[in-house]
Amino acid sequence: MTTATTTEAEATTTASPGAEAPGTVVIDAVTKRYGDSTAVDRLSLTIEAGEFISLLGPSGCGKTTTLRMIAGFEEPDAGDIRVSGRSLLGVAPYRRDVNTVFQAYALFPHMSVAENVAYGLQQKRTPKSEIRERVVDALDLAQMRGFADRKPTQLSGGQQQRVALARALVNRPSVLLLDEPLGALDRQLREEMQLELKLLQSRLGITFVFVTHDQGEALSMSDRIAIMRSGRIEQLADADTVYARPASAYVAAFVGQQNFFRGTVVEGGAVDSAHSLVYNMSAELPVGSTGLAAVRPEFVSIDADVAAGASDASNTARGTLIGVSHLGETMQYLVQLGDDQSLIARRPSPEAPQLAIGDAVVCSWRAESVLLFPADDAASASGYVAPPTV
Amino acid sequence: MRRRLPGFLLAAPAWAWLAIFFVAPVGMVVWFSFGYKPSIFATQATDKLSFDRYAEVLSPTFFATFQNTLWVGVAGTVLCFLIGLPVAYWMAVKAPPSRRGLLVALVMVPFWTNFLVRTIGWQVILSPEGWISTALQTVGFEPLAILNTRGAVLLGVVYNYLPLMILPLFVAFDRVNGPLREASKDLGAGKWTTFFRITLPLAQPGIIAGVLLVFIPLMGDYITATVLGGAKGNMVGQLVASQFQTAQNWALGSAMAVVLIIVILLTVAIGAGIVWLVTLPIRASHRLVIGAPDTAPASVSIREEVAA
Repeated sequence: MTTATTTEAEATTTASPGAEAPGTVVIDAVTKRYGDSTAVDRLSLTIEAGEFISLLGPSGCGKTTTLRMIAGFEEPDAGDIRVSGRSLLGVAPYRRDVNTVFQAYALFPHMSVAENVAYGLQQKRTPKSEIRERVVDALDLAQMRGFADRKPTQLSGGQQQRVALARALVNRPSVLLLDEPLGALDRQLREEMQLELKLLQSRLGITFVFVTHDQGEALSMSDRIAIMRSGRIEQLADADTVYARPASAYVAAFVGQQNFFRGTVVEGGAVDSAHSLVYNMSAELPVGSTGLAAVRPEFVSIDADVAAGASDASNTARGTLIGVSHLGETMQYLVQLGDDQSLIARRPSPEAPQLAIGDAVVCSWRAESVLLFPADDAASASGYVAPPTV
Repeated sequence: MRRRLPGFLLAAPAWAWLAIFFVAPVGMVVWFSFGYKPSIFATQATDKLSFDRYAEVLSPTFFATFQNTLWVGVAGTVLCFLIGLPVAYWMAVKAPPSRRGLLVALVMVPFWTNFLVRTIGWQVILSPEGWISTALQTVGFEPLAILNTRGAVLLGVVYNYLPLMILPLFVAFDRVNGPLREASKDLGAGKWTTFFRITLPLAQPGIIAGVLLVFIPLMGDYITATVLGGAKGNMVGQLVASQFQTAQNWALGSAMAVVLIIVILLTVAIGAGIVWLVTLPIRASHRLVIGAPDTAPASVSIREEVAA
């Protein structure tokens, strides 16, 4: 009798949302509409406590709206959002245990750096001596201690970024929301901050929800990436999986670069394109349907075409070299295969072949590096399968 | 070789204009105010200089008018601020962005009519035979006796100057709107805290502009007082005008004008001082000065603490 009751009680506890660990974010079938357009469409996503997750997608995919709903600046039309097991529906932004780093930093211009950081603590009626201590700690953490008494207008973009980070982290939120925080920084600083953010996150153990349209940023920092499209998640996986095994042509095109071949699927998982037969044995698509084959530029090898007009083996394409560019570690070649099809090949600089523009070239790749997707009309209509440019 | 013209030359036409039509007349007014009216047919003379005209201005007859003017000026400005602030805030923050242009246009509508005509309109409405009075009498009230009082003048100036308060406040609030207010709420501040610590301090230039735009012309206004105030609602502007136009005593009129300028400057300074003093403890409580970093940063323990 007693045992049964205990088990029952335990079962209830596990089933109830209260069992979600502090810092867990659960987005449960959330929909948000603006007039006729649906910004977020029945989105469900569980973010583990202490996880660094990126919402990645082009503008208008609903990633910022999702973030703003977690922060409380927008209310979902349907569905539920829970942080640490507590539903946030109808909870005002200032009562939520989350903090945001805004896109343009949104530092208060009439307050000093220290006063900006202290603002959140003052709202919680923290004792003055403790405020001072914690502000100094947060500024140390962001390496902005020496700038404490300056006004935000006297700081560079990168410094303002650090202050915005300190201002959010000083409140010790269970979840930190970052809305394209590195967008305004130049490339070198951005890469530096990526590394720092990642280190900071793993040290503090706070859940980070990072919104970005920059796939490089998402790949380099995230534990998992949610690639979003038209208000839904197209794929949710870690960086390796997203890069090596994209769930759809859309994801394949958005993360990294791809050469796409459109054609009819034939026996053996191949796409019969006008220019070459591209295949991957493991792919399973109905024979006769239209398929998209994708191969990344770094898997394409290129050489001078010594036997022009020779037999066309599969996974081989012949064409004319129309562009060569030096990318640093790699050389990139743009090959024209036909009127409407070009191909990008990338080789490590030391072993890059010496080729001149106008040369006849032959490109080839291994069958394993080919991905096969059902033709995605919506995706191709948006133009991302357009011939790649150098 | 090309020589660059100094930048201040861009403002030269404006400087010239101000020098000829503002500085020079004000200088003459100050000069006349030390003179006297020599005869019935002359307006002023400055062969003997004295402070006699100022003594005259401060005599009980005129002093009461100065008090009255200051009362209407301060009360009118405060009322305009209290009425205009929520309107401007609503227009800039709460109203749908697509409607803001229309709302600004609506605020400007009164300016499409002549100032005098608008004020006479109030005379019609407030008169004992007006429709408000008639309506009140049908339900058993006395006829309306507000016309030709200080209250009527106050009502008139608030009506006439309110748009001049709303527009700068609207512009100021409009600029603060957006991420800054969201950041404040994100950091745990409610509506009122956000308003008093973020929105209002950042709207300060607009508030100053609005208060000055209302207070200064209001102090010199004599149309509203003439039309609505009668004998009881007398203002300095009327006195100055009558000294120049009717009594032809430019010396006394000039002294009155100079005293009015001084009163305006003093009131603005005192008002600013009061606001500064009242907000001093609040500002002090939010102030946080960290100072230069210590030589030995205790960063290791600190990071652990933040992580905890």
